[in-house]
Amino acid sequence: MAIYLDCNATAPVEPSVASVVVRFLEKDYGNAASPIHDYGVFALAAVEHARGQVAEVVSARRDEVVFTSGATESNNLAILGLAEAGIRSGRRHLITTAIEHKAVLEPCDEMARLGFEVEILPVQEDGRFDPQRLAEALRPDTLLVSTMQVNNETGVRQPLTEVAAMLSNRDIWWHVDAAQGFGKELEQLRHPRIDLISMSGHKIYGPKGVGALIARKQNRQFPPLRPLMFGGGQEQGLRPGTLPVPLIAGLGEAAKLAVRNSGERIGHCRAFREKALAAFSALGAEQNGAEEHTLPHVLNISLPGINSERAIKALKNTIAVSSTSACTSHTRTPSHVLTAMGLPSEKVEQSIRLSWCHMTPEVDWHEVESILRALRG
Amino acid sequence: MNDLFSELEEAAIEQYDHSDLPKWLADPVLVVARNPEAYRGKEYLVEILLAQVREYDVYAEAGCCKWAYDHEDIKRTLRWLEEER
Repeated sequence: MAIYLDCNATAPVEPSVASVVVRFLEKDYGNAASPIHDYGVFALAAVEHARGQVAEVVSARRDEVVFTSGATESNNLAILGLAEAGIRSGRRHLITTAIEHKAVLEPCDEMARLGFEVEILPVQEDGRFDPQRLAEALRPDTLLVSTMQVNNETGVRQPLTEVAAMLSNRDIWWHVDAAQGFGKELEQLRHPRIDLISMSGHKIYGPKGVGALIARKQNRQFPPLRPLMFGGGQEQGLRPGTLPVPLIAGLGEAAKLAVRNSGERIGHCRAFREKALAAFSALGAEQNGAEEHTLPHVLNISLPGINSERAIKALKNTIAVSSTSACTSHTRTPSHVLTAMGLPSEKVEQSIRLSWCHMTPEVDWHEVESILRALRG
Repeated sequence: MNDLFSELEEAAIEQYDHSDLPKWLADPVLVVARNPEAYRGKEYLVEILLAQVREYDVYAEAGCCKWAYDHEDIKRTLRWLEEER
């Protein structure tokens, strides 16, 4: 079996997360909205406990966490949920960046269809948007700025601290898609200026199908979001539907471990990275995105003379890697992220993404090297 | 495992000394905190108890929304710890 190096697409589940999920599937299966007996009360206690665990990752309050089905839904709620506020206030200008995930770009397209003007900031060769360009794009009618924390294809951390300073005295909502950095890069998201944070359970070694939108309150009020669905009033009216208690409890456990084991996980990922970098530099690979801004568990490289599709197929029994994000790889369109960074199409077609985690076992890098050298041969 | 129980002891003492956690609640919480072996396998509930002690607020039920934990929450978790759950 190949070693799994596609953790940015989805990650393995922590064993203790799986145990918590099974507990709430098999034994404690009450409905958190029926706290009229111990089954329901315990389910509710587990949900509130998980809410606190997720909030702690970003130093938010428990009542600022809204459970969703994952980061895609959270992004949709954060962006489309502000449409009515924008229409009512006459603020119809949005700013985002060219390297956002489709789960941000497509809701922005929908906002454009509703009459909003969407400005898409370019990115630099290092894989980061330029905060100065953002400063220049701000207008009195800007409703929302939506920027990702860490890019899913390159692992490059975006300049959120600079954005926070820039938006400190501006009456503009700021959403951060943190699907790839939540629980991995802890400090950035603790900045109180960030109004809305999207996260996903399965990227932090939790279950698939659950995530959260963290919406920081001002004067005890959420940002003026409107729900996208109706019926039940759960999650403070923002996300109706019976809460998936097993998934939420598992998400909470994953969030707890992300904080508790942060240093140890980073250490493991750095050690793994050094070996991967050594192997690929021997092959003359070029890294896409600046190393100094890249999180330790991701490496995006272009291999001169080797098409990525051929490389992935040749490596499939040794390491499982991908070329672009999981949500766009099936379409076989060239990476919009690397293209936005200014890479020539040849380099884009030679790019592969490796992403690992603290549970990833050792890889036989000599074997990887020889397979790739043979492709060049 | 012992870290969790030490944190529970610390939180209970802190809330009793400097906040409003009453003695009749602090005492049974400290019994749990000081007997980790007796609660082996029930760490998930002990974690919930720890969060409830840390966020204990005697006025949790006041106002429109309940976003803190009160004595009923802690009493209930202590009961669950003694039961099969």
